[in-house]
Order: sequence, then structure tokens, then C-alpha cells
Amino acid sequence: MNPSVPPSAADYGGDEVSAIVLDPGFSTTRAGFAGEDTPKSLIPTYYGKYSFEGQGKLIYGDDIFVTPRPGLSIHNPIGRDGIVDDWDMAEKVWEYSFTSKLTGAKPGNPLLNGLNDIPEGELPAEMEGVESDEKPLADSPLLMSESSWNPTKAREKTIEIAMEKWGTPAFYLARNGVLAAFAAGKASALVVDIGASNISVTPVHDGMILKRGVQHSPLGGDYVSSQIRALFKSNIPQPITITPHYLISSKTAVEAGQPPRAKYKTFPPERAPDASYRTLLEERTLSEFKECVVQVWPGPTKLSATGPNGVPNEEMARSSPGRPFEFPDGYNQVFGVDRYRVVESLFDAKSAIPDPDSALPAPTQAQTVPELIKAALNGVDVDIRAHLLANVVVTGASSLLYGFTDRLNHELMQLYPGPRVRISAPGNTSERRFSSWIGGSILASLGTFHQMWISKKEFDEHGPSIVEKRCK
Amino acid sequence: MAAADVRDMLDLPAEGQQRPHKKQKVVEKRPEGITRELFALLGERAPPIAINENRYKGRPKRLDRRPVRSWRMIPFTNGARSDGLILRHWKVQPEKSGEESQTNAEHEALKPVEEEYPFVKYNVKARVPNRYTTEEYDRHLQSKDWSREETDYLMGLVEDYDLRWVLIADRYDFEPKPIETTEDPSTALVPHKEPRTMEQLKARYYFVAATMLALEHPPSEMSEAEFDLHEKMMKFDAKREANRKELAGLQLDRTADEVREESILLEELKRITANEQEFVTDRRELYSRLDVPISVGNATNYHNSQGLSHLLQTLLQADKSKKRRSLLGPEGIISTPGGQTPITNAPGSARESSRADTPNAGPVQPPTTKKAAAAAAAAANKEAAQQAIRTLTPAEEARYGVQHHDRLAPGVQFRSDRAQKLTQAKSHVQTQKLASALAELEIPLRLVMPTERVVKDFEKLIHSVNLLLDARKVSEKVENEIRVLESAKEERARKAREAREKAKPEVKSEQQDDDDAPIPSAPDANNNKGDTSKADDIGGGQARPSTSSGPANGPEGDTTSGTDHKGVSHKRSASVLSNASDKSSKRQRK
Repeated sequence: MNPSVPPSAADYGGDEVSAIVLDPGFSTTRAGFAGEDTPKSLIPTYYGKYSFEGQGKLIYGDDIFVTPRPGLSIHNPIGRDGIVDDWDMAEKVWEYSFTSKLTGAKPGNPLLNGLNDIPEGELPAEMEGVESDEKPLADSPLLMSESSWNPTKAREKTIEIAMEKWGTPAFYLARNGVLAAFAAGKASALVVDIGASNISVTPVHDGMILKRGVQHSPLGGDYVSSQIRALFKSNIPQPITITPHYLISSKTAVEAGQPPRAKYKTFPPERAPDASYRTLLEERTLSEFKECVVQVWPGPTKLSATGPNGVPNEEMARSSPGRPFEFPDGYNQVFGVDRYRVVESLFDAKSAIPDPDSALPAPTQAQTVPELIKAALNGVDVDIRAHLLANVVVTGASSLLYGFTDRLNHELMQLYPGPRVRISAPGNTSERRFSSWIGGSILASLGTFHQMWISKKEFDEHGPSIVEKRCK
Repeated sequence: MAAADVRDMLDLPAEGQQRPHKKQKVVEKRPEGITRELFALLGERAPPIAINENRYKGRPKRLDRRPVRSWRMIPFTNGARSDGLILRHWKVQPEKSGEESQTNAEHEALKPVEEEYPFVKYNVKARVPNRYTTEEYDRHLQSKDWSREETDYLMGLVEDYDLRWVLIADRYDFEPKPIETTEDPSTALVPHKEPRTMEQLKARYYFVAATMLALEHPPSEMSEAEFDLHEKMMKFDAKREANRKELAGLQLDRTADEVREESILLEELKRITANEQEFVTDRRELYSRLDVPISVGNATNYHNSQGLSHLLQTLLQADKSKKRRSLLGPEGIISTPGGQTPITNAPGSARESSRADTPNAGPVQPPTTKKAAAAAAAAANKEAAQQAIRTLTPAEEARYGVQHHDRLAPGVQFRSDRAQKLTQAKSHVQTQKLASALAELEIPLRLVMPTERVVKDFEKLIHSVNLLLDARKVSEKVENEIRVLESAKEERARKAREAREKAKPEVKSEQQDDDDAPIPSAPDANNNKGDTSKADDIGGGQARPSTSSGPANGPEGDTTSGTDHKGVSHKRSASVLSNASDKSSKRQRK
């Protein structure tokens, strides 16, 4: 294949207009050019706030993890339910996500992007062009994703920001459930999205969500983290405290289960960062723990139930070899059956580890994944239920928990023994994590999609309410 | 990417000469850690594990030496949009020569290219019916269940969602206006809102759409597709649809046990049908075996009595082992294949009778063949069988086509053949006459359905036709004679007159002598034909066809019964007549 020959448009239906796809999530914000296979820009949605010489300063992106500045506090503009709380900061964080790596300070045609400018002496002829160029997205249509339960007000606010603050020539707001279905190559699917703050089940039919079937509950990755914290508190040889790396100055190896021997850094109170900074970094350690240790009991029955051969599943889990984990301070331990227990409550609310200190309330059975799916299916027409069950798309970074899809498969088979249940979950980690961004990337680079953009002109004519009419 | 390529792409002037292309030497280098001898042993075949060398992949060779084409960011408009949004995409610039293209391109880049956007053609909308006017609504579409506003809302949704009912039902959220009262607005009632089901929405929409379609084209003028659509929409039954959905829901929510039971039942059903198939093939094989005459080839074995008795024995053995008693009588008169063939082919009792008869053929065969040698051996067996066999009533006999023959010709013969033979007379002329007579009666020469009764009647018919033909022949003969005699008589009378003129007594004696001969013949003929034929005879040649065709044209029964008794007398009289005429002709010759 000769790369210099363009594929004919009829072959893949693509037509790239250098659109930018922005997929804001609770934990991370993904941005990139449409038509690419992964987002070029991946930043945490958290931002840092501190004051330096009496001035308030803000930091975004990966910078927030690096330096424990004095008084640095970490915030998230998005609420736990996935809806934006703080619009000013959300706008800034999102803007950072594409200006930092995609568009640059002065976006535009590479011929005119300043590198090939005529040397001094000649002033730019058009003054009004300069004004529009100051807006970061003047050249790129913008496709944004949103959660399926985003209220109308939030949607209108989003298009206002995009049109008025960023000056995008065209805008579209798509549901991330739909985009995830597109990324899996399906127009109709039941999208199970296990995110950081929320898990959601979205029935998608012909590229549109079925609003009455949308279900969500707060048992996301952060909930699993809180379960792990609860587990650490009641850990058997000794309660485990997570000490993030920035507080460790040096450590020596210790035997498993032995108290850590490490030298800690101390910050004087006026130099110390805020507690939220520590929480953020603890969360990173917990993410690592989730990736390395935590495992979902594969089923087919619950962890608390008795297995098919009469042995309780807990016994079976105990007999399987444990997994070791070393914390930043050098403490290490092998985790046995506990590594199953911390996620079991995603499927069985009763087996949640009780933790009175946790910010998250104890889960109810209705919030578990199988119940959400059941509720979602009951909310849609009976004729498409079987089709949806045959097209379950699992996405979201927390769905990468080891054995999650197997267990989900077993649960669904038990719930619906009749129809065929088929789960499609990409094996590729980045496809699972960014599937709604990838779906947006596909959508925004389709030639047939360009008639759906809300243009600046239409926005000026109809006002922000057009988003409800057009992005159905 | 070389600097030259970048320049090419951006259409910047090339800097100096193109550098000569370096040829890359492809030499398989021996990886480190493998001795030369060992590497040589690897030979031509590549090792199963790729040995990676630490070097960059070479750039792919460009085959054509032309400069790269230039791509341009070109603005375009989309015909499917109404707002003329200008977006920009990269396009290959059609190749142009030299400097002037560059300036042109600069200009072109500023205004959108006026060409059809290729994706516009995919912008299709579902066909929705015309919107009704207020007048039309009031006249045809009123419903006590649906307000005008709600119907409008529904039609809008249908258009928005392109008739995707799942989505329409999902998004349907009609807010009825509060009922206006004269009192203060805070007490205004909001009508109770009950969620509409998809079936209700469909029923309403189909009603509206069908009515609008019928208003546009009355059903008599619709095209076929439109008419089908109209029919389908008119026939939509919301209740049935709702019931179907309920059942579908039940089917989806089966418990694991139910599913297991169903799968077991399905398995069972599959097994049964498979077995049935097997059973059917087995049975067919059995039938084909029973229907085929046993060893037709070497019938010579059974031409002597020994062979026959041997055959009988084997057949009896087979019969016993089958342990099947035949339904039909031990008289076994029916069972010669000759008498049987048409009956077994008859639709009603075909299978049963053939099945029942075939095994019976064994014991029955001997009496029909001339040899009764094996009768003794069969006797005991037969008697035992006789008790188990019931006799048939005449009605049953008729139904099963059982007949009793006194004497049977050996071998197979077809009744249709017999009927065919009847139509063949000895002479060709006669055959033709027979055929024309049948044609006149509108009876086909070859019988369509040669059943027993039909063939019998046919036989009778042919017989009487033959008689009639004979009678005609005879009557023709007699007429001829009469004419001859009359002419002779005239001749004589003339002669007599001449003679009288000469000598009277001579003539007288002669006349007396001549009259003696014809007198006995005339009353004979009259007797034969009866009164009617007498009149015919007098009428002469012209009346002759009516004698033969007259009775033939009449009803069939009449001819048969009428000619039957006449025919007998005819035969006799014909011979008498011919004798008589013979005599007279001889006399004439004298």
C-alpha cells in the first residue's frame, strides 16, 4: 500500500476536518484529533490550587502530582455524579487538555502558524482575524462527550463555553454510551461503563440512548478504593496505612507482614501541602494495587455462596495462591481471599466491607452491576432486549479489574438463561479506557457526520437551547 | 522524512539537485552470540524465532520518481446543511505546472470549491405522511383519546426519529396544557398524565397516516405499494401487539429451570423427528420390497409343478414369519394381479388393499394356476386361516373392487386393453365405421376411466353399434335387390306389352312363371324390418342414412335395449335374406 495515495472516500466513509474530540471524565480528561486511534492528550481532571507570594495559582495536568507545593490543594470540577459542579474550573481544565498538546497557543494552518511568518516590518493586514485567532479552537470543530444523565442546563452551559469562550466553528455533544458503542462497532448495544466515580448502564438503539433505560450508581473505581481502604484498616497482622512516595525519603526491604522500616520526609505545617494532595497520591497507590492484586471472583456463583462441588467459594478462594504487594514504604504482604472481597460488592451488595468512615454510603443491592443491567433492560422495549443482551459492551478503566467480564458474563447468564448473552470487551487496555473517546474520534471523522454539527451560525440564531434539539 | 519531501509536499522550491539515491545493501548479518558454523547450519530456512537486529527499518522505496503530489487544506460546504457551514479538509491538488498554479491555489484556497460534497447522498429521511390541516383533522382524525396537540406532538416525534418506534416511545413525554379555568391560575388542574405505550402511539400514528394516505389517493387509485401500506396500517391491532409483547417478555424472563426443560423437550422433539424420518425410510423400503414381484427374471423355475410347490412353500414360510393375517377372504379370488391392478391404483383403498393383498398372494396363487398339486399342503393352513377371515358384504366387495371370476386367463391383462380391442374390427373399413359411430356419440376411442362398469357398458355399446352397422349393410343390400327387381319387373312389363301387341297368350304364361320367384322374398324382408323399415324401403336410398343414424342419435339406453332384441332377429333374417337374394340373383342370371 502506498501511503501517499489516499483511500477512496467510499471505502471507509471518512473525511477528516481536523475536529477535536474532548471526552471529559471524572478522573481523567481525554482529548485528541478525530481520526486518530488514541487521545493524544490525557490529563487528570483534578487541578491544583496554591498561593505563591500572595497570588492564587492553578496547576493542571500531570504537574499536580509532581511537586508537593506548600498549601497545594487538589480539586475536581466535576461532581461525584458525573455532572460538572464548577463550570469555571471545568472550562479551564478542559481548555488545558487541548491547548497543552493539540492546538497550541496559536492554532491554525501550518503555513500561517507563525513559523513561516514574514519577518517584521509588515503588520498583519486583517485585524479582525487576529481576534478570532485568540480563541483556542477557532479552527477546529469540537465534539464533546457527556454522561447520559447530563441535565439540559449543563448541556447548554457546555455549548456556550465551546461557542463563546473557545470560538469553535462547529460543535456537537454526544453521549459517551453511544460513542462507546460506536467504538465497539455497534449501533445498538447495552453499554456497561465502569468509571471512576460511577458505573452506568446505557441502552443504545440505532445510535441513540434510550433515556428510560439509563441507569447509574456510584460503585465505580473510587468505591473500590474505599473498600480497599476499609480492608487495610481491618488488616490482620496490622492495619495498613498508605504512605505516598513523596513522604518517603528512603526505605529498606522488610519481610512480608513486618512493619515497614523507612525514613519519612516531614513538612513543616506552613510548607505542607493540603490533605487532598495526599489523598490524590494515595489514590495512585491504590490504583496500582487494583491493577496488580485485586481480582473479581470468577463465579459462576457469588463469593459467599457454595460452589458447584459443595465447597464454599471462600474456601476455594483461600486455597488459591495469594498475590504480594509492596507499598511505597516497603511494607509488603500477600493478599489472599481479601483481594476478591474488595470488589465482590459490585455484584453482591451484602458482601461489602463495612466502613463507617468512608465518604461513600454502603451500597444497596439495586446499585450492583447485574441489578443495574436488569433495570436498564426493563426500561426498554421488550423487542430489543434480546438484541441488547447479545451486544453488551463493557468499557471504562475499572472494568479492567481482573476477571470482571467473566463474572459479569456468569451473572448475566444466570439472570437471563434464555436469550444469548454476549459481552464484547476489547482486550486492549487503551481501547477499554478510552472507548468513548475512540468512538468520538470515529464519529467526528465520518463524512456523513459533518451535517450534524451545530454551527456557530445556528448557535447565534437559536441560542444554547439548540443543543437539546440537535444532540438527541 | 527527507527535507526534499517536505519541500515537495509544501510546494516549496526544491533546494538544489536531488541527491542520488543510495542503494541499501541487504546482507544477512550474523547475530552475535552464534558461531559462524552454527549460523551456517541454519541454512536457507529462517529460524522459528525472528532474530532482531538493532537497526532502524529502512524507508520504503518510492517506486515512481515523480514529485509527491501536493495536498491542500480546502474549505468545503456540505449540501446537507442549510447554514452553509464551511469546514476544511485535506485534498490532493490536481497536478498543475509551474509557478502559476501556486498563485492560483492560493486564491482557490480562500473560497469553497463548488462541487457536490460526496456524502450528501447519504442524507435520507424516512417518508412520513403529509401534515393534516385543521379542517382535515376536524373531519377525519378526531379521537376522544387524543387531543390535537398530542397528535401534533406525536407526528413531530415520528418525523424527528424517522419512525424508529423504540426511540419514539422512549422519548415520548407529552405535557398536556393545564385545563384553563376562570379562577386563579394556581388552582388550574393539570390533567392526569398516563404514560402512553408504544402500541397506543403506533395505533394512533397508523390511523392518522392511513387516513392521510387515503385522503391523498383514494384506495381505488393507490399504487400497489401504497395500497399494501394502507392495508397494513389499517390492520394494526394494538391489543394483539401488546399481547405479543407480553408473551415475548415472559419468554425472555424464563427461569433457568424452564429453559432447561425447554431445551430437553426440544432435544426430545429433535430425536422423535429424526426417528420418524428413519421410520419413514424403513417403511418405504419395505413397501418397495413388497411391491416388487419376486424374481421376475427366472420364472422358468416355476414352469413345472415341482418348482411351483417349492415356491409355495417358501411363500408360506415367509407368510408365517410375518405373522400377518390378511384382511381379505381366503377365497383369494381377487388376488390375481390381472384383476387387481386397476383397483390397487384406485385412490381410496390403494395402500391398504395392496398391503393386505400381497402377502395373501401366496396361498391364493395355486387355485388360479392350473396345478392343484400344492392344494393339499395348503389345505390345513387355509382352513385355519378361513376362520380368521370375514366374508365381505356386497357393498364392501364393490368398494374394494372384489370380483368373482369363473375362469381366469393366465397372466396380466388390462381392462383398457380389452376395451381397446373391442374397437378394432376385422376389416379396416369396419373399424373406421365403428370409430365414426363412436365419434358421433362423442365417446372417446380410448376410454378415459376404464372401470369395471364403464367397460361393461362400453362393451354393450360397441356390440349394439356393430349390430346397427350390420343392419345397415343388410338394408342396403335389400334395397339394391328391390331396385334390381323393380327394374326387372319394368323390363318385363315392357316386354310383355310388346309381346301382348304381338301375341297375348305367350306373355301371360311368362309373367306367371316370373312372379313365383320374388313373392316369397318380399314378405320376408317385410318381416325383418317391421313396419318402420318397410316405409324406409319404399322411401329408397334417401332414407337410408336415417335408419342407421336415427337410433344412434337417441339416448344410449334406448339404442342398446332397442337394438338388442332387434339385433337377434336381424342376424337370422339377414342370412335368410342373403340366401334369398342369392337365389334371386342366380335366377336372374338364368
